[in-house]
Amino acid sequence: MAYSEKVVEHYENPRNVGTMNKADPEVGTGLVGAPACGDVMKLQIQVSENGIIEDAKFKTFGCGSAIASSSLVTEWVKGKTLDEAATIRNSEIAEHLALPPVKIHCSVLAEDAIKAAVADYRTKNTDAKPEAAE
Amino acid sequence: MEQTLKPLAGQSEQSGSDEEGRPVVPCWSCQGPVGEGSLFCSTCKAVQPPGQLDHFARFGLPAEYDLESAVLDRHYFDCQRMLHPDRFAMRTPKERALSQQQSVCVNEAYETLKDPLKRADYLVHLRGAGVLPEGCTLVNDQELLTESMELREALADAESLEDVDALDQRATDDIRYCIDALSDVFRTDDLEGACRLTTRLKYLRKLSEECRHHRAKMDKRE
Repeated sequence: MAYSEKVVEHYENPRNVGTMNKADPEVGTGLVGAPACGDVMKLQIQVSENGIIEDAKFKTFGCGSAIASSSLVTEWVKGKTLDEAATIRNSEIAEHLALPPVKIHCSVLAEDAIKAAVADYRTKNTDAKPEAAE
Repeated sequence: MEQTLKPLAGQSEQSGSDEEGRPVVPCWSCQGPVGEGSLFCSTCKAVQPPGQLDHFARFGLPAEYDLESAVLDRHYFDCQRMLHPDRFAMRTPKERALSQQQSVCVNEAYETLKDPLKRADYLVHLRGAGVLPEGCTLVNDQELLTESMELREALADAESLEDVDALDQRATDDIRYCIDALSDVFRTDDLEGACRLTTRLKYLRKLSEECRHHRAKMDKRE
C-alpha cells in the first residue's frame, strides 16, 4: 500500500525530532505505545507560564504513518494553549495525512500522546500552582 | 529441526474417534455418532466438518500455556497425514472439500500454538473472553514503554556491531525470561500478569527484529 504524499513528506523530513528534559517542570511528556505493531511514541511539550505551548518534540519508533502523525502533531500544537492542544482529534490527523483505514490507529496513538503530554504537564504543575490547573 | 516423530502405527486409525467427554453429533454421511471435532467418523470413516473448536481442542490438548513442541508437532503431523490430499483423490467432492477445510483449521491452530507469543496472546483471549474486553491492545504500562523507548533509542544510536549484538542478546535473554514467566502466570490464572508479559514479549520481539535489520544495514555498509 502506498503512503500519501503528506505522510512521505513528514517521514522524509520529520519536524521537531528530539528529546526534552523530562524532569523539567515546564515540560510535559506523553509516552504511548501500540503493542500490535511494537510501536512506541514519545511526545513532549514545553509550556510557558501563561499556558502556551512554546515548543514540541517527538521521537517515534514505528511505521511511516506513526512518525508522520506525531510529526504533524508537534507542528500543530506549537503556539496553542493546553486546552486547545488537548482537543486535537485523531480524525483530523488521519484526514490531513489521508491515512488509510488500516493506519487509523497511528493517528489515535498521536492523539493519545498529546493528551498524555498535556496531562503530565498538568499533574506536574498542580502541586506547585493549584490555581494554574483550572 | 530434528525429526523426532515416527508414524504412530495403529493410532491414526483411532484418533479420529476417541471420545473423551466431547459432545456426540451425527455423522453427515452415515448419521452414526461422532465426537465433535473428530476428523473422521468411526463408523463410515468419512471426514467430518471442522466445527467450532479452539486451537487446543483441535489437537485434543488441554488449554494450557505449557506445551511440549514435540507433542504438538506429533499431533499436527498426524492430522496432516490423515488429511493429505492424496488420500482424498478418489473421494467425493464433498469429502475433498471437508478435508481441505479441516486442513486449513489444523494449520491455523498449529501456527498459533507453536509460537510462544501467539500462543500467549491466544490463551489470554481464550481465558479472558468477557473478562478483559480490550485484551492486550492497550498499553498504559509506563515502565514497559520507558524501557522500550530506551532500548530502541540505544539501537538507533548503536554504532558498532558489538553494540547491536549486545542489545540483541538482551532482547533474547528477556524474551526467554518472559516465556518462563508466562508459564507461571498462566498456571495461576493471573490474566493481568499474562497480558503484561505478552505485551512485553511483543516489544522484545520487535526489538530483536529491528536489531537484525540494523545489523543487515551495517553489513551492507561495510
